[in-house]
Amino acid sequence: MLNQTQTRVLTCIQCGKCAGSCPESGRTPFNIRMLMRKKQFQTVVEESIPWYCTSCGACTIRCPRDVKPSEVIIEMRSALVENGEIPVAIQKALENTFVQKNPWGRSRAKRGAWFEKLDVEVPHVRETESKRLLFTCCIQAYDPRCMVIPQNVAKILNMGGIEFGVLGEEEACCGNEIRRIGESGLFEELQEENKAVFEEYGIKEIIALSPHCMNALKKEYGDLGIKISHYTELLAPMIEEGSIVPERPYNKKVIYHDPCFLGKQNGIFDEPRNILKAIEGIELLEFSRCRDNSMCCEGGGGRMFFEVEATYQRNAEMRVQEAVDKGAEIIATCCPFCVMTLEDPATEKGILVRELSEILMEVL
Amino acid sequence: MNILVFTKRVPATQEEELRIIEEGQGIDLSKVPFKVNDWDNYAVEEAVQIAEKTGGSVTAISIGDAESDEVLRRAIAMGTKDGFLIETEKVLHDPNARATLVSEFLKKEGISYDAIFTGVQSEDDQFAAMGGILSAKLGLPYSSMVIGIDSFEKDHVIARRELEGGLQERIKMTLPCVLSIQSGINEPRYVSIMGIRKASKVERKFFKAKAYGDNISSTIEVVKWVYPPKKGGATMLSGELEGICKDLLGILKEKGVFQ
Amino acid sequence: MSYALVVAEVRRGVFEERNLDAIGLPTLMGKDVSLLVPDGTYAINEKLVNTIIKIKLEEAIFLNPLNIVSVIKTVMDSSGKPDVIVFTHSSSGAELASYAAGCLNLPLITDVNGFDKEKEVFYKSYYSDKIFGEFKQTGEGPFVITVRSGSFKEYAVEKASSPVDKIIEGIPVAEGRSFIEYVEEDKTDIDITKAEFLLSVGRGIGNKDEIPSYEELAGLLKATLSGSRPVIDKMWLPKARQVGTSGKTVKPKVYLAMGISGAFQHIAGMKDSDCIIAVNKDAEAPIFQYAHYGIIGDIHKVRDKLRDIVKG
Repeated sequence: MLNQTQTRVLTCIQCGKCAGSCPESGRTPFNIRMLMRKKQFQTVVEESIPWYCTSCGACTIRCPRDVKPSEVIIEMRSALVENGEIPVAIQKALENTFVQKNPWGRSRAKRGAWFEKLDVEVPHVRETESKRLLFTCCIQAYDPRCMVIPQNVAKILNMGGIEFGVLGEEEACCGNEIRRIGESGLFEELQEENKAVFEEYGIKEIIALSPHCMNALKKEYGDLGIKISHYTELLAPMIEEGSIVPERPYNKKVIYHDPCFLGKQNGIFDEPRNILKAIEGIELLEFSRCRDNSMCCEGGGGRMFFEVEATYQRNAEMRVQEAVDKGAEIIATCCPFCVMTLEDPATEKGILVRELSEILMEVL
Repeated sequence: MNILVFTKRVPATQEEELRIIEEGQGIDLSKVPFKVNDWDNYAVEEAVQIAEKTGGSVTAISIGDAESDEVLRRAIAMGTKDGFLIETEKVLHDPNARATLVSEFLKKEGISYDAIFTGVQSEDDQFAAMGGILSAKLGLPYSSMVIGIDSFEKDHVIARRELEGGLQERIKMTLPCVLSIQSGINEPRYVSIMGIRKASKVERKFFKAKAYGDNISSTIEVVKWVYPPKKGGATMLSGELEGICKDLLGILKEKGVFQ
Repeated sequence: MSYALVVAEVRRGVFEERNLDAIGLPTLMGKDVSLLVPDGTYAINEKLVNTIIKIKLEEAIFLNPLNIVSVIKTVMDSSGKPDVIVFTHSSSGAELASYAAGCLNLPLITDVNGFDKEKEVFYKSYYSDKIFGEFKQTGEGPFVITVRSGSFKEYAVEKASSPVDKIIEGIPVAEGRSFIEYVEEDKTDIDITKAEFLLSVGRGIGNKDEIPSYEELAGLLKATLSGSRPVIDKMWLPKARQVGTSGKTVKPKVYLAMGISGAFQHIAGMKDSDCIIAVNKDAEAPIFQYAHYGIIGDIHKVRDKLRDIVKG
């Protein structure tokens, strides 16, 4: 593994395309191009630096030489993790995930609390014929703000007559952020646990509610022989075919924010937009940096769990300001991390952040 | 400096709702995840740091069921040389029984040491007594609540004990001695899963508790488990966020601390 | 003769208030109380006990576990074995109790917070204070107990007559452990014990970067900022601002706890506040049992809304 990285890094021509697309480079002590240079010469990197990376993936996508800088960062972090030299907050997130299978350390037994008192029935996936699994995601299972998302999607799928089931407390963290933090051992354990459960219940299809979970399950769990999609990929055709019908209008100027793990990393740009366009009254606006050029909200790569030392204007603030400047009333997105990171500055600037399912629930 | 450090595998109950079962004779821990006792984590880290500084080694010891091997592997991953598991058949609540078991074990196995570390207390039974009783049985000097070790010399240790109200006392103890380590004394290192896997390759030694005395009986017993009485309870402020905050400010004004 | 031996905690000339709990329990149990005290001058309400046994050892030597065993042995030799030996459950008390119980081979229950006279059981908490065990001693007495502060104070009542005084000298002093000096924490301007309004933050605030915004809120509300142990352990606030048994005990007019779950050691440091208001996203957080008012919600959102209302 180490040899491969070293070889790849030596092909880097220092063109700077990575730093040009990086949300951190040029504004914080973190400079991805310079880090690749340091790796080429095996120079020591100050231990707080690798933690700035948000795992947006832009560098790897744009690199003309297949250096895969985001993987190099993960490796640097791995070395720090194995040495135990990591920020205390990251340590806590990892230890929590080890014990309770979610980085927030909330009780595993309460992972299914979101559907316990719901007015639609949410069966365990073993009781379904379709063996279609709705994969909840840690933050959506526990955080009060995000808990409405799985609740909404469950109701919407129900409306559309799509059968699905859940795992409840048998679901463990997908490990997407864990792998990006560099704890490969823990990622492997989570992966093994989830895979075993998928096999046990004969899962045939997985609908992920978070683009982060979708990314891990689809691209990092190996060939599961299971169809994996983000819930918007199911909902968009459902609206087209008319199995769910937005009946009420939503007379708002809505600007759509492409999440990195849905958009640039997995190529899903149109489905969320089609869903919004199908709603009467919405005036759909676009950010100047949109689609594969979308600006990262800085919630990924472990940044959700701790604060970096540098003070600088956060992307989320700039993004929200642009939305305000463009006259938007709502920032729509479909990733819980984007929702959380954008909502703080949005509340300050008087604009709302709505996850797609929240908008749908108001119009169906 | 050879140090023995005790470490315990405890249920992670901070976030859980616990259920009493069997008509008060048991507590349902079947769905509760387990982890290393927080205080013991600090104790292991402290022991490993001292061994690193003074040259010497640390041996981790755990009393519990076979699953307690987990915390020994973790201790080894943190830097202890090896781990001993004293396997008990039932949970020993009584700190007296635990300490007697340990002292018999140490004597019978002829284990030598310069110091013994324990955590101040365990998260499950909260007795905070094993270290004190053990040192008494071994005839060694004892200090609990150790919040800092100023120096570790060949024949004595200078340490600070945590008292109340931010006050500490500095004491001197001859070696060998027993120290119960308080949380916050250091910053325990992170142990990765791969690190723990590597640690699994180090052989741990397993012993059966009953080999160390059939006469280790408990001197206390739990008659029944009950739920704590619910106190009067707070007046909950509810409604919209704005309304709640205005209510809160109203209370502050009423109490005369805010205008 | 049946009696209870209570080992008093006297530190820097102060007869600690929690001694009243140690006196209260055996009084509740219906026993005569003999109080063991060190040499020195300190204020003490003598009428709370039947006998005062003054040991001619100064406090630091008295509070050394190696010496207390000699003291207790000597007392038992002259006064006979008590039924119970009671200590405070504090840094010293628990240490003395465990060492004494170990040396004298006596049953020990620590951190007792209740006693049922009928059932003759002691209550002791387990599992983050979520379960209580009803404990009985089965071994041979005297039984050793440490009591949780605040649990039995109200049972310590004045007797009709003054106590009997006894003095014991010539106790051998052990060498294995010796007291060097007290170490004060760094002197700073902050004295949270004098504040009448404390805004206290716990691990629920998430991380260090949230501290400035809570400082701002404290400033706006004219409150003094304090914190629970985890916040101080992580060095997000200095030790001088710690509330809890290993920090400061406070009794402000208002204690506003945000993101604090209510671990017992914290509660012990603030439960006598006139008005406790708790904000926490966990409805099951133990702090709500001690609070007068509670808000279940996201503390950052409450903080921001309060700030907006006060500023706006």
